[in-house]
Amino acid sequence: MYCYLYDEFIQEHKRFERELLLIENRLTDLGIAGKISRLALFRNAEEMIRDEIERGVKTVVVLGNDETMRKILDVISESDVVLGLIPIGPKNELARLLGIPQGVAACDVLSARRVEQIDVGTINGRKFITGITVPNFKAELMCNDGHYRIVATSQANLEIQNLADIANPCDGILEATIHASVRSGWLGRTHKTQSILPFQSLAIRSEKPIQLFADGQEMQGTRFDIGIEPMMLKVIIGKQHVFTTALI
Amino acid sequence: MFTHKKDQSMAQSANHETIIAQGVKVEGDFHSQGDVIIDGEVTGSLETAQALTIGERARIHANVIAKTAIVAGEVKGNMHVAERLELLATSVVEGDVQTANLSIASGATINGKISMGNGKGVTE
Repeated sequence: MYCYLYDEFIQEHKRFERELLLIENRLTDLGIAGKISRLALFRNAEEMIRDEIERGVKTVVVLGNDETMRKILDVISESDVVLGLIPIGPKNELARLLGIPQGVAACDVLSARRVEQIDVGTINGRKFITGITVPNFKAELMCNDGHYRIVATSQANLEIQNLADIANPCDGILEATIHASVRSGWLGRTHKTQSILPFQSLAIRSEKPIQLFADGQEMQGTRFDIGIEPMMLKVIIGKQHVFTTALI
Repeated sequence: MFTHKKDQSMAQSANHETIIAQGVKVEGDFHSQGDVIIDGEVTGSLETAQALTIGERARIHANVIAKTAIVAGEVKGNMHVAERLELLATSVVEGDVQTANLSIASGATINGKISMGNGKGVTE
């Protein structure tokens, strides 16, 4: 049983009307049409999906973008339902990383129903799929229950990846990459270095509040506890899609 | 409980390589089950069950334990390398070295005791 969650922005903009019609027709042709739940102002997406799951929905399909998916990620990953995506409009990085084409073409991917279980990251109890970025990283990383700490000694950015072009979201491991700009030589030329640390849990600690982005969403604070919940999310991926790992 | 969690964590990251590049400093007891490449700074202790590569710009102020190691930078601390230790021409080691198989390039500096095999034959 399918439930389709329409984000508010695709219902409001006329430019999506024709695309929605095509999608609905295609879903009917493929025999996977289902109940439509529409997001609106003052309607809690998590509550709506929780109710649908209680009524027996086995697959929730998001029509929208990364932001739509983020609204229901916590409730989906805590249940046994499968998540599908029909990306519409801009800001659909997650769909691209899962090999799902834009618009009506995604219906065929849903119909093929290639389900993969992927890891979900957590930051201060909140879930994320793709990763975390910390621009201007001046904090410290506490690893292995505080047995050692890592600091950048020059200007740096931190990236933590779960699902990316070259990160495998099925290996139970998150990967922290510190991109540092280092001055060297007589002329003090700057060159870039890249440190890579695979981990399952770590903490970011800072004396002053820092800003970071988890799945593109801003967070601020001085303490962030980051972990991974392996194979937590069942998601429909592209028919030919393969997750790749970086070869160093 | 925590020990079990740590062991599980390390086992699962066995095939992942850790790189500590220039511009990054590690302080404390660094342990890894995978290959480790260091080109930055480490203070405390450094241990890996696999291969360790210490680059020319690396500054290690730590006791080192590894399965195999190639050193091109500076190590201030004792080194225990189970299988093979290769000291390149630019390497500087200030500490005792214990390994089964040792290769020293011309130009390498060692200030410390060298123990090989079962540790009975000691060269200073």
